[in-house]
Amino acid sequence: MSFLGTLVGVVIPYVAAFIFVVGVLYRVFQWSKCAVPFNITTTSGQQYSLPWLNRTFMDRFDSPYTGWETAVRMLMEVFLFRSLWKNVRYELPGQTAVSTKWLWLFGLMFHWSLLTVLIRHFRFFLEPVPWFVTAITRLDGFIEVHLSWFQPHVVNIMVTGLLLLIALLYLLIRRIAFPKERTFSLPSDYIALFLLLGVVVTGLLMRYVIPVNVTEVKMLAQGLLAFNPPSNLDLHWLFMLHLLFVSTLLAYFPFSKLMHSAGIFFSPTRNMPNNPRAKRHINPWNYPVKGVDWDEFYENFKDDLDELENMGYVVKPEEV
Amino acid sequence: MSEQKFEDLEKFEIRQQFGNWRELLKPTTEMRKGYYSYAALLRDQEYLNLPYPREWNTLDEDWKLPPNWKEIIINKMDELRRKYRSFQVFMDICVRCGACADKCHYYIGTGDPKNMPVVRAELLRSIYRKYFTKSGKVFGEYAGARELTEDVIKEWFLYYFQCSECRRCSVFCPYGIDTAEITMLARELLASIGISQRFTLISAAACVRTGNHLGLNPGGVVNSIQYAVDDIKEITGVDIEVPVNKKGAEILFVTPSGDYFAQPHWFTFMGYLMIFHELGLDYTMSTYAAEGGNFGFFHSFEVAKKINQKIYKEAKRLGVKWILGGECGHMWRIKHQYMATYADDTYDDALKVLEEPVNPITGTVFENASSTKMVHILEFLADILKHKKLKIDKSRNDHLRVTHHDSCNIARGMGLLEEPRFVLKSVCNYYYDMPDHAIREKSYCCGSGAGLLADELFELRMRGGMPRAMAVKYAHEKYGVNHVTAACAIDRAAIPTLLQYWKLPVQMGGVTELVANAMVMKGESERDTDLRGNPLGEYLEVEV
Repeated sequence: MSFLGTLVGVVIPYVAAFIFVVGVLYRVFQWSKCAVPFNITTTSGQQYSLPWLNRTFMDRFDSPYTGWETAVRMLMEVFLFRSLWKNVRYELPGQTAVSTKWLWLFGLMFHWSLLTVLIRHFRFFLEPVPWFVTAITRLDGFIEVHLSWFQPHVVNIMVTGLLLLIALLYLLIRRIAFPKERTFSLPSDYIALFLLLGVVVTGLLMRYVIPVNVTEVKMLAQGLLAFNPPSNLDLHWLFMLHLLFVSTLLAYFPFSKLMHSAGIFFSPTRNMPNNPRAKRHINPWNYPVKGVDWDEFYENFKDDLDELENMGYVVKPEEV
Repeated sequence: MSEQKFEDLEKFEIRQQFGNWRELLKPTTEMRKGYYSYAALLRDQEYLNLPYPREWNTLDEDWKLPPNWKEIIINKMDELRRKYRSFQVFMDICVRCGACADKCHYYIGTGDPKNMPVVRAELLRSIYRKYFTKSGKVFGEYAGARELTEDVIKEWFLYYFQCSECRRCSVFCPYGIDTAEITMLARELLASIGISQRFTLISAAACVRTGNHLGLNPGGVVNSIQYAVDDIKEITGVDIEVPVNKKGAEILFVTPSGDYFAQPHWFTFMGYLMIFHELGLDYTMSTYAAEGGNFGFFHSFEVAKKINQKIYKEAKRLGVKWILGGECGHMWRIKHQYMATYADDTYDDALKVLEEPVNPITGTVFENASSTKMVHILEFLADILKHKKLKIDKSRNDHLRVTHHDSCNIARGMGLLEEPRFVLKSVCNYYYDMPDHAIREKSYCCGSGAGLLADELFELRMRGGMPRAMAVKYAHEKYGVNHVTAACAIDRAAIPTLLQYWKLPVQMGGVTELVANAMVMKGESERDTDLRGNPLGEYLEVEV
């Protein structure tokens, strides 16, 4: 058991974490190396032009003019999915579009739950457990239930863990059941969902059905973090499965669409202020292109232009 | 436009097609009438010095690609991903959540899954994966990657000219992925192997040569202005003078060339001239910079730059202080987000004469245009009307129930939403908005932007314009709306046909037209019609 434990508990997580860190940094580095030739903000609200014009509170962030307004726009995209909030569904028979917030709701539910669950996992890595981790865990697990098959019998239901599962199932089902979504879903879209489901389901099983030795998990987590992993590991099979899913997900991350989490910060339609007429944007690779200048134009249309000169450069109504 | 098309309305159906990812990876090369664009003319390719100029035909099996076309495309893609962060990021981060799918008016109107923005991007992304990502190289089609073949090129030409670069999908995308950007880069790739669309290139070449998309010689521009001042005299009895190529004027006025004689652009054009006269503005028009729009923008970076440079050069030559721009859509996307960036030393050169724009009538400083020195006509008019510098008789628009169509580029590439509404409410008694999902940043495209106004795309345009037409229909039925305004020359060309196709008794025109309708000029004669000759007063019944 010790060899398998070392492989799954130490070697694979290290390799996966390495691929994750290097891969993500590499991709981010690649993006930041690319030029941004134009300011191509997508404006989703009234621009700043004449100061007295009606500009709502949200217009400032949907069509930001200053740096801080742009920063708020980005934060709203990242934390509140502002653009997805605007989502509408076109209904053909009625020839109208109606607001639809399901994707926004489950998307937001998934991401916020994932964040909470990640923060809760700090308790395995950090000793002493930081106050905010304890606080979030307590808040998350305010529901207590009695499980006869479990040791200890009294368990706190972690709401976000269940929400995570529900949201993932919705995100999966919509790709299978909705015709549009089925049409454009690629195998990689399902892979990401299955990996996440694997992580979540094994995690939930450990929490509510098949208990594992938490002390051992904690020793491993802290050992990994300190680059001093414990030897003679005898890990529970379910925990190893959980760890395998997590490692696969980490290693897969930089090569996949999951990079959207970093990419959103580089999106030029969202991270630039709508002020290109007030502040000239410079294209780093701009180069001159020869066009027709006035002299050439004049040569081509000399007669017309001379006649205009004779008119004194003014067009007047014809005398009747 | 062929007349018999209007009869087909009864037969209109949207065939919803749902497939799977494997089917989507297979290139569609079926060139259906009404959906594919014509190949560029050799004449225009040669005039613009484009690579691999040749005569070719979209319907031919052989598109006569250069022998090493594949290498050219891959190298160009490699170049573009370094040059445009948007390209690389948008290729990498899409999660295919599908929020964009039914936001595209072409998808709504055609039901073709390849018109979903997410799939339109996948047409390019699948190639990017194959040649530039590890997962694509290793797992091939299971990673959503596919081989670059001639059929893929044909598919690109088919579908990247079924996108009007309206950016509606980009508003709803949680990462702001902008299909307009992807379409522009795909067209850039196509251009690198000598594949261009006829309509955009005719206009772009004409614009480089003559200074406007219509290919009018300077004499033609002057003649148009002549007709306009004659018409104005006939309608209002007022003699107005229009300075052209006048050195030392304070303001250079630039407008899309459609305004010079297309209908209903014409009334907006007269409107500009009447208002400038009434204000006593010290301005000039130009025959060299006679075009605000830039069809090069729908082709490639270089052609766009060729056309873009004229305005700053002309501003410098004439010695104006600032530039005022007429009602146009993509023109304003460019003026707002691209013009000063495109311009290299021509900008610095122009700065020797240009100053921060100040409205000479009201003294308002246009701080938001302090760098490019270019102000939108509706910003200018809003300021004028706010300060009550024009005598307005709102009742002259009482025969109209007005609604406003937010043009894609100025709504989502500029954020000019309240200005037209303020202007319209200042000059009309009856203004109504269309439903929320169809206006402001959520506005539906007219279906003909970004080079898709071509005649051969008629069916696509009428289908793509359907959501807009249905929103107008709603406003017509609910409020009796009989007049749609739009501050865009392409809209003014596309929407009248669209309204006719969908049998809506509604007319359309520019915003400035209605200002001029309501404006009481000094020394004008008794008015009993609007600029179009419609009688004032009674509700106007528009013929279908």
